[in-house]
Amino acid sequence: MSARLRARLAPYALLLPGGLWLTIFFVVPLVAMLSLSLQQGDVVSGFSMTWHWQNFTDGISKYHNQIIRSLWYGGLSTVLQIVIGYPVAYWIAFRGGNRKSFFLFLLLLPFFVSFVLRTISWQFFLSDNGILLGPLKNIGLVSEHFHILATPYAVVGGLTYNYLPFMVLPLYVALERVDNRVVEAAHDLYANRVQTFRKVVFPLTLPGVFAGVLISFVPAAADYVNASILGGTQNTMIGNIIQNEYLINQTYPEASALSFTLMAVLLVGIFIYARALGTEEVLEAAAQ
Amino acid sequence: MTEIQDATPAVHTDTLPAIELVGLVKSFTSHGEVVQAVKGIDMKIAEGEFFSMLGPSGCGKTTTMRMIAGFDEPTAGEVYLHGGNVVGVPPNKRDVNMVFQSYALFPHMSVAENVAFGLKRKGVAKEEVTRRVGEMLEIVGLTGREKRRPKELSGGQQQRVALARALVNNPRALLLDEPLAALDLKLRQAMQVELKRIQREVGITFVFVTHDQGEALTMSDRIAVMNDGLVDQLGSPREIYEHPASKFVAGFIGTSNLFSGTVSEVVGAEAVISYGPDERLVIQVSTGQVRVGSEIELTVRPEKIVISIEAPHGNGSAVKGTVTEVVYLGTATNYNVKTSTGADVVVFTQNATSAGDIAVRGDSIWLSWEPRHSYVIGA
Amino acid sequence: MNEQIDPALLRGLTQSRYDRRDIVKMFGALGAGAALAACGVTGKKAAPAQQSDVRKYWAGKTKGGHVDFANWPLYMDPKHPELKKFTQQTGISVTYSEVIQDNPSWFAKIQPQLAAGQSINYDLMVVTNGIVFTELVELGFLAPLDHAKLPNFTKNAGVQYKTESYDPGNVYSIPWASGMTGIAYNSKYITTPPTSMADLWNPKYKGKVGMMAEPEELGNFGLIALGVNPETSTPDDWTKAAAKLKSQRDQGLVRKYYDQDYIKALSSGDTWISMAWSGDIFQQNLAEHTQLKFIIPQEGATIWTDNMMIPKTAAHPVDAITLMDFFYDPAIAASLTEYINYVTAVPGAQQVIQSAAAQASGSDKKTLEQVAASSLVFPAAADYAKLKHFPAFKTNQEKQQYLSLIQPITQS
Repeated sequence: MSARLRARLAPYALLLPGGLWLTIFFVVPLVAMLSLSLQQGDVVSGFSMTWHWQNFTDGISKYHNQIIRSLWYGGLSTVLQIVIGYPVAYWIAFRGGNRKSFFLFLLLLPFFVSFVLRTISWQFFLSDNGILLGPLKNIGLVSEHFHILATPYAVVGGLTYNYLPFMVLPLYVALERVDNRVVEAAHDLYANRVQTFRKVVFPLTLPGVFAGVLISFVPAAADYVNASILGGTQNTMIGNIIQNEYLINQTYPEASALSFTLMAVLLVGIFIYARALGTEEVLEAAAQ
Repeated sequence: MTEIQDATPAVHTDTLPAIELVGLVKSFTSHGEVVQAVKGIDMKIAEGEFFSMLGPSGCGKTTTMRMIAGFDEPTAGEVYLHGGNVVGVPPNKRDVNMVFQSYALFPHMSVAENVAFGLKRKGVAKEEVTRRVGEMLEIVGLTGREKRRPKELSGGQQQRVALARALVNNPRALLLDEPLAALDLKLRQAMQVELKRIQREVGITFVFVTHDQGEALTMSDRIAVMNDGLVDQLGSPREIYEHPASKFVAGFIGTSNLFSGTVSEVVGAEAVISYGPDERLVIQVSTGQVRVGSEIELTVRPEKIVISIEAPHGNGSAVKGTVTEVVYLGTATNYNVKTSTGADVVVFTQNATSAGDIAVRGDSIWLSWEPRHSYVIGA
Repeated sequence: MNEQIDPALLRGLTQSRYDRRDIVKMFGALGAGAALAACGVTGKKAAPAQQSDVRKYWAGKTKGGHVDFANWPLYMDPKHPELKKFTQQTGISVTYSEVIQDNPSWFAKIQPQLAAGQSINYDLMVVTNGIVFTELVELGFLAPLDHAKLPNFTKNAGVQYKTESYDPGNVYSIPWASGMTGIAYNSKYITTPPTSMADLWNPKYKGKVGMMAEPEELGNFGLIALGVNPETSTPDDWTKAAAKLKSQRDQGLVRKYYDQDYIKALSSGDTWISMAWSGDIFQQNLAEHTQLKFIIPQEGATIWTDNMMIPKTAAHPVDAITLMDFFYDPAIAASLTEYINYVTAVPGAQQVIQSAAAQASGSDKKTLEQVAASSLVFPAAADYAKLKHFPAFKTNQEKQQYLSLIQPITQS
């Protein structure tokens, strides 16, 4: 092969590993799932491709409540994560001193325990007569019938807890990158602490907030563990439905169609969010 | 601290100083050890003055400036701004503004927004903000770039934005922390002139922190040379250059040649150190400054020394030596000379004529200078 | 490649005609359509096994010296004394894995390999009678059992276990253990013992009732509460049962629809009264000193059976069937039952446990006596009369209809 030809082909050769990776781990499963979502049949007599788009419409009409609830729970937990996670990340980034990595390690420590186990430990902790509510009920502070488990609060709380580090880490990275001299400059230019935060620090960490929202909202909205462990009879999320369709009912096409619907809803949501937040206009608005 | 002898007309030391530091001390705890960054500084900076704090890194100049701005609180001592003690007052309540070394522009704001930031915080009316921002951008030559983001500007332009952002607030004093350090040589020189012009135009007190002696000499009305947490010398550029008060100042400002020896004779206002029949050092001294037998150190600037092949006439200083290196610099030539007494001396000769070098490497030559050009150090 | 390259080819190669986006588009256009049509899960309904199939399957199969056994958690003494004895007697080693958590997900795990005719790396597995078992049979995934190799089973198994409706004549399976789904309550919170299905609908226990999420279990209770036998129930009954269960949920009576974790909720007081599996209650009281009580409501309860079976692709079917039969030795069955406290298919085990109790002393004696006398482990004929079987779906449509009625209750 001539050197020139080799040189011309090099870019394509360089694309190969990444392209292969994408194909094997992304395109193939996605196409397989898309295909499945348009089939009909059952596990005994097999599934066959009939371009059955009704799988999508059926899924949406049957489970739109659960889809909306998932977005609502996921969104609420994401907001809570920002509210809780931002001060934590701020504190570690600006007040952590030389123990920053230690504090980050503490934050990640629960992640050494399995996701499900952590959630179950919350179930144990929040139990009706457990370590939290038991004593409160004994001294009559809350009524005998009060419970936290099996409520939307428990599910949203569990989601918030479980995905909090996904929010804190990008926030921390963003805050860490804020030049302290820029903060000093704001103080120097007559901004008090609140103004400095609102006009300088927060706008500069918006990319971190954006990243944090992306990587915690998506899994939180698609989560099924928290709803099934901490939820009650009216807190089913779309993740539970999909899991149930796949593993219990073995109605693979319906499950695939629901997965695709969820993916599409999340993608549209993210796109709108990115258009709203990912651009400079918002930064400018914050600067006013 | 040396008394100010010939203050430039711009300085009014008799009126209320813009900034006054009294017994200023700052200690830090680092790795369990207490480190004194500033060890007791007293100085008065006059209204409208271009004042420089000059010294090597770690001399405490930046810490001093940060205490003036309010970012650091002094461990002991007082900071007065226009007569008012500001210790404990946060930076946003002090009427001084700072230009940071790396400019510290707000990256998410446009040029105009950066400049307007302080005025908005002070609650200045919108129309006035727009007007003053426009005026200030004109002064620093950035009209037409209002909408740009800092990252879309060159280093010099960013520098101007930083300057405008601070100056637009019309502060009582402007603090500049090595503002030119990040610029290349050409731009730095242009900005030096520019800064001086702007300062004259706005008439605000400038406190300029730098480690570049050339920069300080060029721009300042007065300079405080700082070393190891203390002010070694405070005076006009000329004073500091020509009459360095310490070996450190002599070494830090420009190039200095150091000699040492025992005084063999004191005649009137002149002391003599003799090395031989023809070789001697003659120094101007004040009455009673040195006695015969005193061990003294003296300094002479390289451009004051004359090189000759023949033994010099007159009764000034004269020392024999051998040329060890000749460096041609275009406008001038540098000679490195090893004297018969063993000292290494640098001589700086203007190339006024194109006659060629006075001497070449290995030549035996004479060095001579007038008594008034050498000073006793630390006496 | 030599220097004589066709200039046109070179031009074609050197012009960057496609950027990455185009290539992705091409992938999409060319690949997607074909790929979409190609991907799928193939199924094949198998004909019922004939005697000739048994001969054909077992022909030439010989002892391999090893069995890989997949079972549920807590279904054998962790020290595996029975398996040690088996290895001693037969020289066949056993690898015992507690890998099955529930039937459908187990099916989902093994289905692709079985469909492809590949080994699932287990020779013996335990699956409950019900939808998944029926699917395994219908798909022809199970080896037909050679009863000549099951002498202990033939001799010792209780007669009702030889005529189970889900596998009459034990063509594919023999029981591992049976259990009842009834009502359990925490006597710490409920002092008047519940007696009826109606207690699960009692407003007194609002928010403290635990129901099971598994659609067959849940539907059964709705049907029994209406006085319908699930085994003979009709789609009409299912609609009524669904309405009854839905009203229970909508009144706020149900705390949650549980999986295996119902027992924890009942123990901790999150629920006071719950659907429950018989053996769990006994084990939980023993392990955590809880005061849980199990009752069979007057309307009846259900009985289910976990069955041993050999996947058709097993590497060591002869060893597996030898092990299956070994569990039907009354002494071995007794030993298993003492630990797991579910219903054994070997009535003779009761005798063995009684004589063991007579010889033992102290707390061991008490426990053994309790087990031997327990109607949950050795139900009397009257108890059996109250126990009902799961619905038998004749077609897949029926099954789907049932699920679509019952499942929405738990998925709100």
